[in-house]
Amino acid sequence: MKRVPLQWILAAGLFILALAAPVLLKDQQYWLFIATQAYFWAMLASSWALLAGYAGQFSFGHIAFMAIASYASGILGRDLGWSPVSGVVAGTLVAGVVGLVIGYLCLRLRRTYLALFTIAFAEIFRLVVNAEIDLTGGPLGLYMDYLLDTTSYIPYYYLMLGLLLASLAFMYWLASSRFGLFFRSIREDEVAAAAMGVHIVRYKILAFVVTSMIAGLAGAVDHHFIGFIAPSELIIGRMSLVIAMAVIGGIESLIGAALGAIFIHFSLEWLQQIPVPASMMPKLIAMQPMLEKIGLGVGERGIMTYAWRMVAFGLLLMLTLRFWRNGLIHPIIDRLFRQRVRKETVAKRVQAAEVASPTTFGGTEGR
Amino acid sequence: MEITGQYLMNLVLNGLLIGSIYALMALGLTLIFSVLGIVSFAHGEHYMIGGYVVYFLLETFTNLHPLLAILAAGLVTFLIGVLFERLFLQPMARGEIERPGEYAILVTFGLAFFLQYLVQGIVGPHSKRADRFFDLPSVDLGWLTSTAGTLKVGGIPFSASRLAAAAIAVILLLAMIYFIKRTWVGKGLQAVSQDRNAAAVVGINPLNMNTLAFGLGTMLAGMSGATLVDVFAWVPWIGVPASSKAFVIIVLGGMGSMPGALLGGLIIGVVESLGSGLLPDPGKALAYKDAFGLLIFALVLLVKPTGLFGRKL
Amino acid sequence: MIELDVRDVYKSFGGIQALNGVTFSIRGNELIGLIGPNGAGKTTLTNVLDGVYKPTSGEVWLNGERVDGLPPYQIARRGIGRTFQVTRAFRRMTVLENLLVPAMALHPTARKRDFHERAMEVLEFLTIEHLANEYARSLSGGQQKLLELGRLLMLDPDIIILDEPFAGVHPKLMETIYEYIIEVNKQGKAFIIISHDMDSIFTLSRRLLVLNYGEIIADGEPAKVKEDPAVIEAYLGEEEEEGPVVIPAGRLAEGMEEAING
Repeated sequence: MKRVPLQWILAAGLFILALAAPVLLKDQQYWLFIATQAYFWAMLASSWALLAGYAGQFSFGHIAFMAIASYASGILGRDLGWSPVSGVVAGTLVAGVVGLVIGYLCLRLRRTYLALFTIAFAEIFRLVVNAEIDLTGGPLGLYMDYLLDTTSYIPYYYLMLGLLLASLAFMYWLASSRFGLFFRSIREDEVAAAAMGVHIVRYKILAFVVTSMIAGLAGAVDHHFIGFIAPSELIIGRMSLVIAMAVIGGIESLIGAALGAIFIHFSLEWLQQIPVPASMMPKLIAMQPMLEKIGLGVGERGIMTYAWRMVAFGLLLMLTLRFWRNGLIHPIIDRLFRQRVRKETVAKRVQAAEVASPTTFGGTEGR
Repeated sequence: MEITGQYLMNLVLNGLLIGSIYALMALGLTLIFSVLGIVSFAHGEHYMIGGYVVYFLLETFTNLHPLLAILAAGLVTFLIGVLFERLFLQPMARGEIERPGEYAILVTFGLAFFLQYLVQGIVGPHSKRADRFFDLPSVDLGWLTSTAGTLKVGGIPFSASRLAAAAIAVILLLAMIYFIKRTWVGKGLQAVSQDRNAAAVVGINPLNMNTLAFGLGTMLAGMSGATLVDVFAWVPWIGVPASSKAFVIIVLGGMGSMPGALLGGLIIGVVESLGSGLLPDPGKALAYKDAFGLLIFALVLLVKPTGLFGRKL
Repeated sequence: MIELDVRDVYKSFGGIQALNGVTFSIRGNELIGLIGPNGAGKTTLTNVLDGVYKPTSGEVWLNGERVDGLPPYQIARRGIGRTFQVTRAFRRMTVLENLLVPAMALHPTARKRDFHERAMEVLEFLTIEHLANEYARSLSGGQQKLLELGRLLMLDPDIIILDEPFAGVHPKLMETIYEYIIEVNKQGKAFIIISHDMDSIFTLSRRLLVLNYGEIIADGEPAKVKEDPAVIEAYLGEEEEEGPVVIPAGRLAEGMEEAING
């Protein structure tokens, strides 16, 4: 029997870690909460990667779909007494329908125009939510019923993890099927794809519908977990975060984007307060006024970073785009998993070709 | 409230005032688009930074003349633009970047993200607002009266701050137009925007023109913000609606068209003003103010993406 | 039998009349050379046939069905395939994947692996099977042309339009492309070849369509067409005072070369 390659051991280990986390973390509800949120962001980032990285539709309205489902579910719960589960289903469907409409409207829009249009759509939605106070609660937000009847975070943790894995599996299946082939051909060269018979309209719209539903599902479930949603979640900075996660993870890799999201979300939590040795604390407190001048603060254990964490990731986003287009996480995965598979396949095929018809090998084109 | 002719005039004229500053911002974006061929998704952030520069300069140096502060804001945003262009956009122009179209969108979006939080880190999330730059002399001519903060013409009130902002904007617009049409460098910019290769052949360096255009574009955005920091409450994300408006204007007026940007700016200013002034529910009207432009924008994009005057992307 | 009918097609863009009443038909596996000076409308005609443009007026009928105005992907499925003047391979997809795209598009229920073999056969025919798992962007220009031809075979259209297939191609590769055209034509497909390479056009085509200012000024056997005064005038720009100019096959007259290469 062959030795199991290292990368599969790592992957299995990661998976087991994820499954066992609640047990390992025991009473630390806080970190369970963070992990659940990380899975939420991972669903957003990976679905956006499918839309943009695979199908080439650089839409900035993704967060809006997330919120549409959440608000729909919340409003149905509040006004019609729908249960959270029905709300989630309904919300996801609503997100899908809106995704269909937006996808249709975007059909003829080329990249920059599509970006502009989807920004406009997201902004209009945010303004409407802010303004229609009677319907949405306005800037003060909307309270939502809890999805599960429990005070522990553990069931939610597994729920979010399960949804993440399910959506990744589904999107992965899509990506490796004809849909993935067509999506990528559309991103590469829409004109050539059409000339090759790819039904551009159908697949562009499909990309929007599928990804908006995943974003909606994530949003509705998450907000029935938190119990609250507000339009502040619709600011463009949130969309930027999703983009940063996908880009840093690897925009052409679903798993990369998901891992990127998890990595960034946890990092943002850890970086909230940079711990400082207890001996240094008095000095730090003495420096407090100076630190506050540059937007930092002093917490119980160290330096409060406030907005500066985001600055770091904004910079990382730009640098990643500039120097590491394939992302930071994806290349690692790729190197671990793909290299061998490819070498094998090419070698096999070359062998087979030689065996089948030795005279046709050795084409006119050298490289 | 009653909708009188005077009220309408009020809305229209005030809309024109604010529209002139929108036009200035949009001109900056148009310049960037014509020469570099990209839309900067961080345009509003330069507007935001311009405002903050003026605010902090005036806070720190209380005797500083506001005009100098505004010029300083222009200089700062110009430098930021040049720096970003050289570091992140030049490689595109040199063909070193794969899928440059996607890159331009994402990297300028990243810049916006970076700048928003950078400024928030430095200044904090609470809003700032500068004191009025210029006080008007008190005058009473019957049909024309003015106090320190307000000018009334025929009963229609105009805030002194907005008047000052508009005046400065108009001067800058004229200066920019002169620069582009009459100076050698300006003509270089025009040349590159029309045909890069031809311009290169006659000795104009397109790469330098790119940097200049981007810097000037961000400078115009910065100075637009600079003129308005005594009008609006300034927060680190005030660039977002500003960006949106600039986008609306260039799409409406036609990407790459200067007259389109100018006209578009005025139109948006008036539309916003009328929209929020005429909606029956004043609370909602304010919340929806930014939405009017966006709706027109979305419609124009769907119907005629090249806008009223425009060039194809 | 393959039937294409182009009836009185006009296409204008703003003020420019690119196609001016183009009418011609194709029956069976014809091998047609489409020539004409720069700007004559050859690529515009291709775009109309392919569905990229909708004609301003006129009709295009393919195998008994009216197809003008249909989107390109519908026309591709109905039997018109084309290549592009500047190759448009799916750069960040492998050669194999490039070929699978049209196959999958045409067969809604098929799986990718159903067409692996066929794709490899096609690649072998084109002598680039060793590049199957390479990303298209790492192929040379000539190899990318072969890739486009491979994609066409997977699309299996009735009518193949090649837009400048010989441009910038070295002689050895030319042979491969010639073989491809002749073999595939024998198998029953019609070809419309757009080219400025007169040698190739005269060698391959059994029929010549000459386009000038959006109009067909000649339609017939190559030998006859090349002596048509209207054709000569179109290329040379002016009438010769002495009798018709004979253009020797296999060598371009200097004036014609200049007129073509502009």
